[in-house]
Amino acid sequence: MKKYVFRRLCTGFLAVAVVFVLNFFIIKAAPGSPVEILAGRDNPSQQLIDNLNEKYGFNQPLYIQLVKYVSNILKGDLGDSIIYNENILKIIMDKMGTSLLLTLTAIIFAVIIGTAAGLFSATHQRGIVDKVFTSTSYILNSMPSFWLAIMFIMVFATHLGWFPTSGYSDIRHTYTGIRHVLDVMHHLFLPVLTMTLLQLPIYFKIAKSSVIQVLSEDFITTFKATGMNKKKIYNKYVFRNAILPIITVFGISLAFVITGSVLVETVFSWPGTGRVMMNAIMNRDYPLIMGIYLILSLSISIMMLLVDLVYAYIDPRIRNSYK
Amino acid sequence: MNNIKNKFKKALKTINSNSQLKWGCILLCFIIIMIIITPFITKYSPYEISCDMLLPPNPDNILGTDGLGKDVFSMILYGARTSITIGLISALISGVIGTFIGGIAGFVGGKVDAVISEIINIFLMIPTFFLILMIVAIFGSSMFNVMLVLGLTSWPSNARLMRVEALSLKERTFVKSSIAIGESNWKILFNYIIPNGIYPIISNTTLSISGAILTEASLSFLGLGDPNIVSWGQMIFDGKSYMATAPWITTFSGLAILILVVSFYLIGDGLNVVLNPKLKNVNK
Repeated sequence: MKKYVFRRLCTGFLAVAVVFVLNFFIIKAAPGSPVEILAGRDNPSQQLIDNLNEKYGFNQPLYIQLVKYVSNILKGDLGDSIIYNENILKIIMDKMGTSLLLTLTAIIFAVIIGTAAGLFSATHQRGIVDKVFTSTSYILNSMPSFWLAIMFIMVFATHLGWFPTSGYSDIRHTYTGIRHVLDVMHHLFLPVLTMTLLQLPIYFKIAKSSVIQVLSEDFITTFKATGMNKKKIYNKYVFRNAILPIITVFGISLAFVITGSVLVETVFSWPGTGRVMMNAIMNRDYPLIMGIYLILSLSISIMMLLVDLVYAYIDPRIRNSYK
Repeated sequence: MNNIKNKFKKALKTINSNSQLKWGCILLCFIIIMIIITPFITKYSPYEISCDMLLPPNPDNILGTDGLGKDVFSMILYGARTSITIGLISALISGVIGTFIGGIAGFVGGKVDAVISEIINIFLMIPTFFLILMIVAIFGSSMFNVMLVLGLTSWPSNARLMRVEALSLKERTFVKSSIAIGESNWKILFNYIIPNGIYPIISNTTLSISGAILTEASLSFLGLGDPNIVSWGQMIFDGKSYMATAPWITTFSGLAILILVVSFYLIGDGLNVVLNPKLKNVNK
């Protein structure tokens, strides 16, 4: 078990390092520089450019910049954003809450509904409900997220006027207490609905196929042959085995939670990390891009490790093979 | 001649046996026919700007016109070419790279396999959408760039599949005997391992075509598409400003993406069942 954890840790660390170096060189190889944007397009003074280059260390050789950056990060300092002129960790932390609220809510709904539908479909194969669920999941899976979001805005916000078109809360009123919570929930409804519907097919498909797979195993046939209570077979043996792959996918989507969803956040003008990332890319705010990317890849590595550990803990077959 | 006829009959029977494959093929055939007859069914060029702006669907402009007076129907028809080209080529790039790298890893084994597997694992952990977003935003968004980036970021899943296939094929008698005869490693890899282990890659590549089409649409929607071509994502992006007054621009271009993606998705899933004997038995 220890050896297993150690190996997973090494892979995770390597992945973060690779992402990091890759990003560093992609960004450095890019045409255009943030200094040009900061200095202004019309008649920038050479002195200003030199000063800015000095301030951000762009005039040093590449490897020194890389070493300096890495050592700063090891100290926990991600540096300052060029556009926002604020500490990067602070910017990300400020926006992460709203992103978490949106994505986490959606993922939890998707896991519960998707899994339930998948289990139902698998146990009622070829029935009319199964057919409806399966074809719906194909359609939802093929839908561009931004398009679904726009459709919802068009129908429920513009036409029917049930929900606000965008934003996090009503800026004309500054509600407090329970009114504020209700207001945010009112704004949250459409983005969460969009994201839930888009995540549903993933869980549906995995739940369905893993239940079908377990049902075809020999030990289930044996149980059936011995005349064991059908409910007991399902609850105790089928579902318990089938739930494992769902945990994996759930863990991996949790890793992406902190960056939110760029597309859905963009359409609904949701003030989350996805939009910060988009802004950073559009404005060539290199330190901010690197910062978000670093945190994202770190969280993915950690989540994947956690998923593997949980998996090993739940599944005795894996647990025992690493003893 | 008879042989070809029999093979064709067999292929048709296989397609018919799987409902996903059947519907996917029907949809795709419909789309391909529409693409071929495009010049005959629309008299407008997708680039032609006219004074009839934001016309609702009418007999002349079946799906209406957009904010610059361009015909939405012909834009959708010409946009299909873009989407299919990008999907096919990027999936092909990822399929070829994945097959090659995975095949080498599984066949050679040992240290090479360990290193390549680790690289595959690392690449699977890299958040690709952000990487694509960044590369395209920074290095320009020509169609060529988008295809290349999509292909180069999606090969690890193919490589993983091919590696597993190669590992099991290596132990089979016909490969072992060709090793014993003394055939060169390259020849074994290309003549025996890859042709016999390619099936999972085929269905996975079909699935990644739909993924690539969706990603390209997302990039265009974020304003990172090639401005010189007609693209569905870009149509939705432009149509967003006329959401309240001209909903047809966004609605129809989104539906077009949906239909194309669903067709490849159905075919990929169907192929997976048809080509994989294990799954075939489960579904019986």
